Amino acid sequence: MRLRLLILYHLGCAYESLRANRSRTILTVSGIAIGVASIILILALSAGASRIISDQVNNLGGAVAVVRPGMPDHQPQINNLTATLAGSKTASNLTEFDLDDIKEISGISAVAPLMLIGGDVTAGENTPKEVSIIATTPELLDVTDLTVREGQFIDEITSNNTAVIGAQLAVDLFGTEQAAGRTFHTHGKTFTVIGILSRANNPINYNNVDFDHAAIIRLDSGKLFNQNIASIQQINIRATDNQELSDIIKKVNKKLVQNHYGERDFTILVGNDLARPANELFYAIGATLTVVAGVSLIVGGIGIMNIMLVSVAERTREIGIRKALGASNGHIVWQFLLESLVMSLVGGLLGYGLGYLSAFAVARTFLTFNPVFNWEIAGTAFGIALVVGLLFGLYPAIRAARKDPIASLRQYN
Amino acid sequence: MSKTTTPPVIALKNVVKSYGIGDAEHTVLDGVNLKIERGEFIAIMGPSGCGKTTLLNILGLLDHADDGDYLLDNRSVDTLSSGRRARIRSEQIGFVFQSFNLIARLNVIDNVALPLTYKGVSKTKRLLEASKMLSTFHLSEREYYMPWQLSGGQSQRVAIARALVNNPSIILADEPTGNLDSRSSHVIMEELSDIHQRGNTIIMVTHNPNLTSYASRVITMLDGKIATDTKAPRRKKSKIAPKRRLDSQSQTKKRKNVKTTKKKKGAK
Repeated sequence: MRLRLLILYHLGCAYESLRANRSRTILTVSGIAIGVASIILILALSAGASRIISDQVNNLGGAVAVVRPGMPDHQPQINNLTATLAGSKTASNLTEFDLDDIKEISGISAVAPLMLIGGDVTAGENTPKEVSIIATTPELLDVTDLTVREGQFIDEITSNNTAVIGAQLAVDLFGTEQAAGRTFHTHGKTFTVIGILSRANNPINYNNVDFDHAAIIRLDSGKLFNQNIASIQQINIRATDNQELSDIIKKVNKKLVQNHYGERDFTILVGNDLARPANELFYAIGATLTVVAGVSLIVGGIGIMNIMLVSVAERTREIGIRKALGASNGHIVWQFLLESLVMSLVGGLLGYGLGYLSAFAVARTFLTFNPVFNWEIAGTAFGIALVVGLLFGLYPAIRAARKDPIASLRQYN
Repeated sequence: MSKTTTPPVIALKNVVKSYGIGDAEHTVLDGVNLKIERGEFIAIMGPSGCGKTTLLNILGLLDHADDGDYLLDNRSVDTLSSGRRARIRSEQIGFVFQSFNLIARLNVIDNVALPLTYKGVSKTKRLLEASKMLSTFHLSEREYYMPWQLSGGQSQRVAIARALVNNPSIILADEPTGNLDSRSSHVIMEELSDIHQRGNTIIMVTHNPNLTSYASRVITMLDGKIATDTKAPRRKKSKIAPKRRLDSQSQTKKRKNVKTTKKKKGAK
């Protein structure tokens, strides 16, 4: 009761004294606000980035599994990440036979292979960079969140020389998104564009393909570029029912081990594992950036300490008076500590708002995903502000409390 | 107000205080023995640097004696923690300073209410009591003035109101009229005298010999020792209003025995 009264009183005092020195309060608070804002910006964006892939899986009802070549990994995070990305682009031991066997397992609603083919595509003078050529089957539409904006997707009856291309690739090749019916060349063959994909704006996904920059052709056409062998980098499987997914995975596993002469030289990924390599990358980047942003917070904290030391020096006489009137050292510590806490918490609050505003600005301008709001990030902002206020306010407050009342009273104003 | 048989409110035994170390050591209080009874009005006189203010600071628990005993209400306070000393300052001691020492950022009523804060009184009650205290000093209409808007005399009356708001048993005043003209001085002294008559113990340091007429006991100090200790005649306890009493100083009547004790000077 007594303590609560005192805290209330000192909060009032802190408000008065901070208001009296308005401009320097604003400067100090903005130091903290900028520090907190930069941390919130990074946390919100990296949380948003880690959610990209799990959101995609959830959009498909969560019932998606992916088979990739290569051993199940027991490697540390960063190695694992590069291994997986590289593995998807090197020679594969998943074959069309595996694909056909998987198709026969019951409970599967769609299966599609992804065969990535190197090489350029050319239309007239234009040879865009970083184009993926993907050979697949029509069912791809059911195991990814792709939609066709114009024309049609590849199907069983269209000829081998047709392709569906990403919206950005259409612009790069033909200068327009209205590219249906136009033709391009690759590997010495001419393909007719029969459909354009909707812009996904989603370069990070569990297919490791940026479909905006992709040309999708039939698996048969792809095989022609590879001595008639389907070298499949990934098989996407979608179950009819989320509940059956684990059953299906067991069956797929059994079948593939059988096909591969007892060797488990492939990996089946579901749920969070799909997102893991990318998440770990974002986590590593986010952690590094947070440490860097922490430096600016320390600078803000030093600003608080600096101002509080000035304030203690200015109010030496007041400290003496208060002590003569019955204030204990504890009272004086509270008075100054609450003042720095008020500054750091207000700074934290402003920084939280500022951080989100800038996270949205950055995301809308440069990135393809939205930042994430959650309680953890809000709690982090509050916690950081609290710790900075305490850490950098304690020393000036203790210094104020230790002042000798007689010497303080003797000081001239 | 006659002498009672209760133990003295303040008892100092052989109190020594010095500043500096080695060659620069300077003894400010050199074996002070002093007993103060409840309800006394003591004026401490003496030249600058004789240790008056240091004595007052030690009495007010702002300073520690290097040696000797200090009993406050028959309790030794030398060994108390700083928190307990602050508590005693808050509950038993009121300070009045030469330079008023109002906190410039706070208005009059907040200044007066300040000591109550450290006693843990709620805000409404604080302001009510401060307001009541200010009205006894005829400062009700100045409650929301800032300290710089007050005259010297008003400032000191606010300071006295602040010293009294906790109902302390001892008022320590360090040259309370030192910054005031003679007219304001008399107003302040009348207030102090009034407080004294209500039963408070007042210990006042002053340079002005005229003011000793308000006191019930006059102590002069020299070189860190008590030189003389005189029980002054009690001024007549008048029932007339303070303003009238101001003009009636000549009516003070000598009463009882005037005791003058000359302390033996130490060897040093």
